[in-house]
Amino acid sequence: MHAWLIELWAAPAALGFALLFNVPTRALAACGMLAILGHACRKLVMDVGGADIVFGTLIAALLIGLVAEWWGRRQRDVPLMYAITAAIPMVPGTYMYKAVQGLLGIAQLQANAAGEEILVSAGVNIVKASMIVLALAFGIAAPHLFWPKKHH
Amino acid sequence: MLAIKALPELPLTEVLDLALQAGLLVHLSGGDTDRAADTMRRIALALGAARADTVVSSLNIGMTIERGTERDTAFRRAPHVGANFANLSAIQRLLDELEAGQLDVIALRNALDHIARRKPFHSRTLMALLIGLSCGAFAALFGGDFAAVLITTLGGTLGVAVRFLLLAHGFKPVVFAICASFTALLVVGLLRSLTATPDAALAASVLFLIPGVPLINGASDMLAANYLNGMVRLTMSAMIVIGIAIGVSIALRFVG
Repeated sequence: MHAWLIELWAAPAALGFALLFNVPTRALAACGMLAILGHACRKLVMDVGGADIVFGTLIAALLIGLVAEWWGRRQRDVPLMYAITAAIPMVPGTYMYKAVQGLLGIAQLQANAAGEEILVSAGVNIVKASMIVLALAFGIAAPHLFWPKKHH
Repeated sequence: MLAIKALPELPLTEVLDLALQAGLLVHLSGGDTDRAADTMRRIALALGAARADTVVSSLNIGMTIERGTERDTAFRRAPHVGANFANLSAIQRLLDELEAGQLDVIALRNALDHIARRKPFHSRTLMALLIGLSCGAFAALFGGDFAAVLITTLGGTLGVAVRFLLLAHGFKPVVFAICASFTALLVVGLLRSLTATPDAALAASVLFLIPGVPLINGASDMLAANYLNGMVRLTMSAMIVIGIAIGVSIALRFVG
């Protein structure tokens, strides 16, 4: 498959979760398109800009957050609906799963064997996953963090 | 706010009741802490309260409202269950209409009852199939081939079915995460000789369990300085991830 065509898979990846989150049918197309936009933006920043996955995720999440805010207000929907659904394909599930999976490997160590390698690789995965999640949350929350609502 | 003057004075208990009902719906539908607190306060103020102070914890919501010399307080139990964006959108529209004076108390109460009662738009079967397909799509995003997409979709769908079944019987998140990830990984592991990219399929097969909403909401609560609820949501997510890893490591001992 052409490398950029693979980005289209972000739409079905997001849509299953959109159904789980009870997104109304009329909004599903927009969620799918925003998911592709975000995922492709991350790939663009990483491939063309040479950035790492955390920075790429941050830029993509900022884009998703802003587009979701604009589109959500236009449609009189909760912007979070579009933002979270579109961010789902970028949630670092594999890193988290690898980290905990690695840690459970300690159970299989011999009595005296040292487990530094497992701890280090799990630690790296956990830190990477946390940074990606934080970048996602920051991007999605950016419209509210930068333009806080005054309490009335 | 002009709307307040147009409304007849409601008993405070009734104002409190409506505000808490809306706040509870927002909390149960996966709104973050600020949204739940904001919804309750806006309804109370729009219905004539002079002052409204809210509490939103991960398990309870409550508020005290005041008007003149009167004061009333109530709490509701509010377990966190999941996300329901249709409800969040509907409540936001109600709030806008209420503050614009286009909605009276009776219409508000009926609308909230209607939102609380309505069923999810999509059937369980369709959800299981499409969430399974989501896992297949993740396999493709990880560089898997077509066979990997197919077996991941199958494994994911069966895993989601197990999750729904256990959830309906009231099992805790860790338990359904262990059983559902075990099922999904076992299926994909047994069929992995069909694909040239088994790693992508195996990694993607359990992603339907990754708690995206509590993770993102939790991190966003932390950024918005709601530290307590942020920690609760992140801990909840961590428990599900641990459940996934336990299920996966048990399944891996069977399929090698």
